[in-house]
Amino acid sequence: MIRVEDLRKHFGEVPAVDGISFEAPDGQVTGLLGPNGAGKTTTLRMLYGLMSPDAGHIEVDGSQVADDPQAAQAKMGILPDSRGLYPRLTPREHLRYFGQLHQLDGPTLDARIDELVQLLDMGSIVDRRAEGFSQGERVKTALGRALVHDPANVILDEPTNGLDVMGTRAMRSLIRRMREEGKCVLFSSHIMQEVSALCDRIIIISTGRIVAAGTPDELREQSGQANLEDAFVVLTGLDEVAP
Amino acid sequence: MNQVLAVLRKELIDGLRDRRSVVSALLFPLLAPMMVTFMLNIQAERKRESMDMEIPIVSAERAPDLVNWIERSGFTVVDGPEDPEEAVREGDLDFVFVVPEDFAEDFAEGKTAEIELVHDGTKKDASASIGRARGLIQSYSRNLGTLRLIARGVSPQIALPVKIEDVDAASARQKAAHFMSFILVYVIMAAFMAGMNLAIDSTAGERERSSFEPLLVNPVTRLALALGKWLAAVVFSATGIALTLGSLVFALQQASLQELGINLTFSVPVIAGVLFTALPLAFFASGMQMLVSSFARSFKEAQTYVSLLIVIPIIPTVFVILYSLNNEWWMAPIPVLSQQVLLTEILGGETGSIFPYIVSGLSSFALGLLSIWVTARLFAREKIIFGR
Repeated sequence: MIRVEDLRKHFGEVPAVDGISFEAPDGQVTGLLGPNGAGKTTTLRMLYGLMSPDAGHIEVDGSQVADDPQAAQAKMGILPDSRGLYPRLTPREHLRYFGQLHQLDGPTLDARIDELVQLLDMGSIVDRRAEGFSQGERVKTALGRALVHDPANVILDEPTNGLDVMGTRAMRSLIRRMREEGKCVLFSSHIMQEVSALCDRIIIISTGRIVAAGTPDELREQSGQANLEDAFVVLTGLDEVAP
Repeated sequence: MNQVLAVLRKELIDGLRDRRSVVSALLFPLLAPMMVTFMLNIQAERKRESMDMEIPIVSAERAPDLVNWIERSGFTVVDGPEDPEEAVREGDLDFVFVVPEDFAEDFAEGKTAEIELVHDGTKKDASASIGRARGLIQSYSRNLGTLRLIARGVSPQIALPVKIEDVDAASARQKAAHFMSFILVYVIMAAFMAGMNLAIDSTAGERERSSFEPLLVNPVTRLALALGKWLAAVVFSATGIALTLGSLVFALQQASLQELGINLTFSVPVIAGVLFTALPLAFFASGMQMLVSSFARSFKEAQTYVSLLIVIPIIPTVFVILYSLNNEWWMAPIPVLSQQVLLTEILGGETGSIFPYIVSGLSSFALGLLSIWVTARLFAREKIIFGR
């Protein structure tokens, strides 16, 4: 479970994240929805400990990110915004490297890698060097190394970015599967359909603040719009800019 | 600790598969002996050439005794050109002796007979052979003068109130060491060249590939990451040093050093001493390179910075050669300079106390470690992680 309390971050004079609080419970998929530049990635970066917030608390399964980032990171599987691979290593070597950084080794790690290769359908690429991988193959590898330690909390920054239809479908079924396993899944997106198809709870962010939060039904009710996309536009205040 | 090893292992595998990294590690071991052999052969060739130097003399028939003396000294006398000044100016000959018409007459009467040495004073590369030619005539003149004085019953010492006695304090081994200081530059450069690519690839390269952020979200301290990457570069750098030294020793043993009057012996203790002295440089070089590359956003940018860094090892080396500096206590903690001085000492065969060697090694290691500590701090900066 992830708890975020009154998170704030400024870049110079500009407030990127301006008092965000939410909870992402286990066994649920929580979506951070917002237009580009709303502060989603900055929020996630603070969450996984690469940016220090100006104010606020983040707790991951009882570990404070600010006090002990390593303990918190050990409980999270993270697919960050940038997902560069090592072109001279194979996916298996990527997974082994990250597994070792999570203090896994030996047969346990090998078994886990085989499991992920099955789960992510990487059999045909697992021993090929990553140079020249397609976008889908790259995302699979990045996802595999993020999940190698079987984390209880999964954080995905725009996971379907750049994926084709089949890739997107595979990603959705993976997210659902993780929910069934009782994991806490938190992902960000700027695509309404994506969030509405998957999320138990949606948090809508605009200019660093939470403008609405709730189940898809609750959001429709709050905005008075029957269509979720219209609800999104109304709630983020985008309708005031665009006619 | 396990995590440091995991990073080290990954970077080594990655480095060994990277053609650029492998080439830069092997470049010096392959190139250095070739250049040294080339240099030595040119020197040996030059020395051999100067041994059978030809002495061009115009109107040599006017001074048969002189010609006789020159030939007995092991040189060949050839007829001079018709226009000596033209030949010298054009560079066909370094110098020409011209025996004037009244030479024989003056010579017979016991007057000072003149002989002209035609040369071009602006041609510096001819000065060595001109000096030899001049010396040849002067020693003929001295020799003859001595004989004439004796013939008149005068002690030759009267005409020689002061005489310079050359005492060359440099032992043959020291001369060799002076020569070696050029060669040692290669070993020191190898420390900087061999690990360079890996140091850049594992820092600036990581940022360029945008694989840095995913790496940093793992539960690993920045120091463990920096240490693992550092040690991988150190392995490459140290291998480069050892291979360069090995190939230099091999090349020098094949070359004709004896002919040059250079006496170099590579005993096992000497080679061990060189390694003991030079290897700590790998820690310093790789540490500095990683620190500098961490500021760069791309591989190319880092390459520019690191290439400038390579100038640093050359500066003290130049000073040591220019001013023939000896080992002094304050040099011991300065990386590169201390290695330069201590290596010259080892190869000169006059190793003193082991203390400066330990200070030099520890200092290079400590400064490398310090760079890595700073690098680890940089890894925590948001500007470094996300700045593109």
